[in-house]
Amino acid sequence: MITTSHFLVLSAILFTTGVVGVLVKRNPIVIFMCVELMLNAANLSFIALGRHFGQVNGQMYVIFALAVAAAEVSVGLGIIVAIFRAKETINVDEINLMKS
Amino acid sequence: MVGMSDNLAAILPAIIVMVTGFIVLLGDSCLPAWRNNGKAFNPAVTFVGIAVALFFDMTRMGAKSATAFSGAVVDDPFSRISILLLGVAAILAVLLSTTYLENKKLHHGEYYVLILFSLFGAMLMAGSNDLITLFVSIETLSVALYVLAGFARTEERSEEAALKYFLLGAFAAGFLLYGIALVYGGSYGLSHTGQATTNLTEIGAGLAGSGLGGVTVMFGIGLALMFVGFAFKAALVPFHMWTPDVYQGSPTSVTAYMAALTKIAIFTVILRILSVLTPISSVWLMTAQLLAILTMFGGNILAVTQDNVKRMLAYSSIAHAGYIMAGVVAVGAAEGKFHDLAISSTMFYLFAYTLMTIGSFGVLIWLSRRGRDCQTLGDLKGLVKRDPIGAYTMLVFMLSLGGIPPTMGFMGKLMIFNVLLSAGLTPLALCLGFASIISVYYYLRVVWMMCFMEPDRETITEHATESGGTLFAIGVTVVLSLFFGLAPYLAQTLLAPATSILVR
Repeated sequence: MITTSHFLVLSAILFTTGVVGVLVKRNPIVIFMCVELMLNAANLSFIALGRHFGQVNGQMYVIFALAVAAAEVSVGLGIIVAIFRAKETINVDEINLMKS
Repeated sequence: MVGMSDNLAAILPAIIVMVTGFIVLLGDSCLPAWRNNGKAFNPAVTFVGIAVALFFDMTRMGAKSATAFSGAVVDDPFSRISILLLGVAAILAVLLSTTYLENKKLHHGEYYVLILFSLFGAMLMAGSNDLITLFVSIETLSVALYVLAGFARTEERSEEAALKYFLLGAFAAGFLLYGIALVYGGSYGLSHTGQATTNLTEIGAGLAGSGLGGVTVMFGIGLALMFVGFAFKAALVPFHMWTPDVYQGSPTSVTAYMAALTKIAIFTVILRILSVLTPISSVWLMTAQLLAILTMFGGNILAVTQDNVKRMLAYSSIAHAGYIMAGVVAVGAAEGKFHDLAISSTMFYLFAYTLMTIGSFGVLIWLSRRGRDCQTLGDLKGLVKRDPIGAYTMLVFMLSLGGIPPTMGFMGKLMIFNVLLSAGLTPLALCLGFASIISVYYYLRVVWMMCFMEPDRETITEHATESGGTLFAIGVTVVLSLFFGLAPYLAQTLLAPATSILVR
């Protein structure tokens, strides 16, 4: 029997994976995938909780979150393409013109 | 039930700003006559749009507080005041932008569209009464600002700033959304209706009823994660790493805009949410104090060694976020009439911060010549002989940022110091004092460079392109910072309605 807490634990694991990924990865595209993982972990929680409480709210929120995530993807990939054109690299360790 | 027109009336200023954004977007891309005169049309329409939005905002100032869209949006004096501040910041930024963008060959209509859309997001943030509305409006603001940060497409620094802002901003959004999900789950059984909710009014009523006993682990973790997200967006130490790079790399007009806009919007939200959480203030007050102290000292100590003025101002904006956070702590700790005083003092400081930040970046814009940004301390050497207007206005802003009378920055710090003392937070008040003393060193270093050093080289002596808008914006900020520095109670009276936050 899969209960709501299973979903919540899974979403916590996904979220933690995402956070660790953002902190250790050096490629902005992979970092952004990890951010997406964090957002989707939240979405999974919303859906599971909404189902658990028998409310439509939780599932509705996911639609908003998806729209925001889509906007972020389009802007983010645009920025990554622009920086690749300027620098021929997207490794975040080499993107360090400004250091104090 | 409120009708649709009431709903729309509650967010009228934001809607006007959004519609103006669409008009500029369509006009600039579809009408050849508009496109050919874009240099005049785009800023003019933007200016008028924001001014009309502010006019409607001010006519509603005395109206009764109301919620709209089933409680997702609130229209109270507090949100109206923040919308006013946001609009003023945006208008000043538009005035500063035109000539600077032309000089950098960046004068595209999209710039104004993005300004308007980010302003729309910020105005919705000020009125949002539901965590999901809040999330969507924060992201509307942020996504537009990511693009603005990278607006100088050919400059590597600008792209770098955009990438860093984007990655850290999206990271923060992840924390925020996951926190909201947990708060949604943890709010079950908290409110009277026995429903899970993200509505701030219902959460507040639930917390007032249950006190600390009703707070589940899930709710607590959710709140903590949400505040990590807010701290990232507000650049509180230790979540500030992105700020200096982003502020330094972005075009200066964008830096001025986002430094002011994001701080006003995010602190409005923080104030609103913390006023909901007043019943459990014993839990978060200590953490908030620690954040405020870390931010004040962190920002000021890191600013001391900077040779780049833009970067120095970025660290100084971190420090100022710390002072504002101290005001927020006072709002949480104070009771009775001191509570109201704390809110109006914090709003006063936000207003002062807006004016001095936009002003000081504005002087850098004024001093920037064709194809060459004025950024380093060396560029300011001997300024008083080369460009007295720039030097004397910069002097006012540096005194104001450093908290030296008779400026608005001094009055703001004094007010926050006072409310901290009356709220019984003497250690925090003393920290604020010490942190300000550190800050005086690096602000006065700029003054010293301007007034007592000989210029290095004569490369930047030629006069700037005529720029009435920039000069006007700087003039307004100087006059207002001095005026409200001498008559602070006038400003506090103006901002007094802000003390009635509806959700309490």
